[in-house]
Amino acid sequence: MKTRGLGDPLERFLGGPVLWGGLVLATLFAMGPFVWVFLASIKTRTELYAMPIQYLPTHPTFQNYVEAWTSRLTPFSRFFANSLWVSSVTMVATIVISTLAGYALARFRFVGKNTLMLVFLATQMFPAVLLIAPLLSQWHALGLIDTYQALIYSNFSFTVPFTVWMLVGYFESIPRELEESAMIDGSGRFGALLRIIVPLAAPGIAATAIFAFVSSWSELLFATTFTTRTDMRTLSAGLLYMVGQYEIQWGQLGAGVMISTIPVAILFIFLQKHLIRGLTAGALKG
Amino acid sequence: MGNQNATSAVPAPRALLSHATRETLSNYVYLLPAAICLGGTVLFPILKAIHMSLYYNVLIKPQEYRFIGLGNYVRMVQDPTFWLTLRNSFTWVFWSVSLQFFFGFLVALILNGQFKGRAIFRTINLLPWIIPGVVVALIWEYIYQPNYGPLNDLLRRAGLMREPVAWLSNLNLVMPAVVFTNIWRGIPFFTIMILAGLQAIPEEIYEAATVDGAGVIQRFWSVTLPMLRPIIVVSTATRIIWTFNYADLIFVMTGGGPANATQITSTYTLMQAYSDLDWGYAASLSVILLVIMLTFTALYLKLTKGVESVAG
Amino acid sequence: MVKDDAYYASRRQFLQTLAATGAIAAADLAWWEDPFLGPRRARAAASTVRFQFSVPEPLRISLVESLVERFNKAQSDVEVKVEFVPQAQARQKLITAVSAGSPPDCCQIWDNWVGEFDGMNALEDLTARIKEWKHYKDTVPVAWQTVTVKGKLLSFPWVVTNDAIFIRTDRAKEYGLKIPGPDWTWDDFLTLAKGYTKPDKNQYGFGMRGAGTWAVLYATEFLYSNGAQVLKDGKVVINSPESVQAFEWYIDLIRKHKITPPSVATDGYRQIVEGFGRGVTSMYLHNSGSVEEQKKFVGEPNFATLPLPLGPAKKRASFYFSETLTMFKAAKNKEGAWKFMTWLMDDEPNYDYAKTLGLLPTRQALADRPHYKHPGYQGFVRSFPFSIVSPYLAYAGWGGKLDSEGVPLVQQAMLGKISPKECLDKLAEVLTKNMA
Repeated sequence: MKTRGLGDPLERFLGGPVLWGGLVLATLFAMGPFVWVFLASIKTRTELYAMPIQYLPTHPTFQNYVEAWTSRLTPFSRFFANSLWVSSVTMVATIVISTLAGYALARFRFVGKNTLMLVFLATQMFPAVLLIAPLLSQWHALGLIDTYQALIYSNFSFTVPFTVWMLVGYFESIPRELEESAMIDGSGRFGALLRIIVPLAAPGIAATAIFAFVSSWSELLFATTFTTRTDMRTLSAGLLYMVGQYEIQWGQLGAGVMISTIPVAILFIFLQKHLIRGLTAGALKG
Repeated sequence: MGNQNATSAVPAPRALLSHATRETLSNYVYLLPAAICLGGTVLFPILKAIHMSLYYNVLIKPQEYRFIGLGNYVRMVQDPTFWLTLRNSFTWVFWSVSLQFFFGFLVALILNGQFKGRAIFRTINLLPWIIPGVVVALIWEYIYQPNYGPLNDLLRRAGLMREPVAWLSNLNLVMPAVVFTNIWRGIPFFTIMILAGLQAIPEEIYEAATVDGAGVIQRFWSVTLPMLRPIIVVSTATRIIWTFNYADLIFVMTGGGPANATQITSTYTLMQAYSDLDWGYAASLSVILLVIMLTFTALYLKLTKGVESVAG
Repeated sequence: MVKDDAYYASRRQFLQTLAATGAIAAADLAWWEDPFLGPRRARAAASTVRFQFSVPEPLRISLVESLVERFNKAQSDVEVKVEFVPQAQARQKLITAVSAGSPPDCCQIWDNWVGEFDGMNALEDLTARIKEWKHYKDTVPVAWQTVTVKGKLLSFPWVVTNDAIFIRTDRAKEYGLKIPGPDWTWDDFLTLAKGYTKPDKNQYGFGMRGAGTWAVLYATEFLYSNGAQVLKDGKVVINSPESVQAFEWYIDLIRKHKITPPSVATDGYRQIVEGFGRGVTSMYLHNSGSVEEQKKFVGEPNFATLPLPLGPAKKRASFYFSETLTMFKAAKNKEGAWKFMTWLMDDEPNYDYAKTLGLLPTRQALADRPHYKHPGYQGFVRSFPFSIVSPYLAYAGWGGKLDSEGVPLVQQAMLGKISPKECLDKLAEVLTKNMA
């Protein structure tokens, strides 16, 4: 990180051994349970239930993946497509909505702006289990049961408030002079938002995009309540098909978990490029 | 209301009749989509729940449905389990969020460095966040299982343990165990948010600080932390709220047990609504939670000066 | 001037964007409806029946799907759509759906939910229809009792089961332990459990349930062995002296004799079944639903089942419970649902379902088939003479309270935080308060 004053021995120590040590520890910690799940997904049933525990499978098999993906009864390919669609749309729409709202709240003066902000947060303070019944009757009345809309709209209820707040914080940290000069240069306010603020806020927007995608990807309550057909289930709901009354199908559940990490990982590898120092510094000089 | 928009410093050449008004309106238009989203999905159900909390509304006794004013709230004050869950909630939230934040911050600082394979490391560190809470709970329940889970087995093979430890059945260990799981799952959230925040700090400020002779520690305290304040405030405040309301993990891992040792107010609410089918009481519990958190958030934002930027 | 133009331009642009957002939102109504993979819409010809099935695990999904397919092929008036809901979410989803006014037409639920849903006024009273049903008379009366609430027959008892003790026969041989006969006693039980317990080998005598409603029910079955009862003459007597004495003995299994695994206080179904399956425990109390599972886990010849042991009072009881087929009052297609439910209750579909899941059919003729002669089922069959409907089904209000208050009390006793007597006194108090 702080690769500047390399003369400082403390800094060199922090940037060297400490950084690598921390990196390895953090990564092992994050990965540990996944390793366990992955191993479970490539074991045979006998290996899975061997006592004492058998960590490495003697006959690694990808049968669970094939089964999970192609099964007609628990079609993970279909769950996967559903999740991908719901989460992507949620992500894009959340970004548009909250960029507008975040910008307005950061830049304009409103009567009761603080109260408004607090109301945004207050919507997060209510347990979802109690929101679910009124929401269900609402979607039912609108004929949205078993549709992607119901899931996407419901996802807004937890993505939008946070992303708005997050972006307000982010926009606040961008100097006002930048867009003012742009506006004098002939861009309108909206043009300034698009051309100056959004690129500058790219790291913040990328982070909130990841947030919106990931939290709708792992959403479960709405996904089970607002859909009834197996082919409308999302991955997170589909995973629970592997949890039986007396036994968890760890092989297929593990395979499902591993499959479900792939798109998020790809999206993240793409978006994390924006999690680097934005253009703020250069723009300030210019 | 004269000069609504502080940034439009240039006076309009022709004073249009309703310039200011139009501008105010157009400002609100920016908020409209967000307002619609939340109005449609959250506000109406919340109002409904507040209404519900004033009724005796036990689903299996529809014939006794009636208005009881603050009856549910009176019952809550006299309910020792409620107070217990509130205490448990504070423990759960405090340790979960503070440690998630601390480690998330550390990991963000590490991942902000420049090294080979950064994208891969960043991605791996994100993984715990992307599986549903219920599945996280099942995985960790398996890990903690005293007789056939890998944790005890590894500890035993390493010679660090003799008697199997029942992590989730021991009154003193169960809360730390579920909190630990929650920390595992929550670190990536803070990592990502703080990583984004770190990018917004202009290089010049660091350079200026270095020129002034500030070491790495001083730069952290005098530049990084203050500049990150808005992001920190927002992410911790929302995280606290979510953790308060987060029931999945505990519900699956321990069901609030053993002996209510991990019963937090949100799992208790869930149980009141879906086991006891007492929706009036469940609603009043949620309303109280809302009030507690609203008070807390207002105070928190006031103390931390909210998200106003340092520069003002 | 520049500024003014810019201002209008920005507003125009902004409105355009808003319009675009609106257009996207509007488009989704028409277009997202049929997304890229195009889910199959219901074929409009037949009238559909929505059937919620609440244990979607691969085995059951394929079983139910094949049954439904057979039904849909066998006739053309009704088409059944199954809705698989993960078990942990099933109850919550039904309650939510009932209060939102959109329950499925019929569903598979357990008998202890029937009273609650009836309390919510959500169930269709099937008494008249069932009394006319062709197999009404040859279904065992006790099965009907599990689904009778306030004199109304509310469901079909699809399959029933009772509780018995699973026991590892191969390990008994290994350790030179004698497998007792069906009329064994508490002392035999304790001796055997002690013989099985080898903590250094990660082996324990008895996998006791500590989580969920059945933590209370299984404990109660042991209390009945000592002559205890839950209700007597309309009064709760679960804290009677003989009951307390029995519960002290039961808790001693954990605290004094240490024949249970250390995780006992949070062990649910999965943990007790899997613990036995992995060889951690050598006995556990459960219904016949895990017989087929154990054939896969420990192997067919390696286990048997015995009825519950006789207590000092020379008594015992095993509780029946049933998996039901239940119709909702708000069902859109009651005739179709009835047709489907009665088809499922016919000989072959019913036998297939019961056999695959290790549960017992509710008609004597089917229960007499050779499949149920396996030693794994003997404990259950032998328990019929003293099996009763769970006393906790007496009041609809009890179901939820057992979960929210009963289970934490039993766990406190298991962990030694309160005495067994204190636990039962408080449980009696909770039950008495909710007798409605």
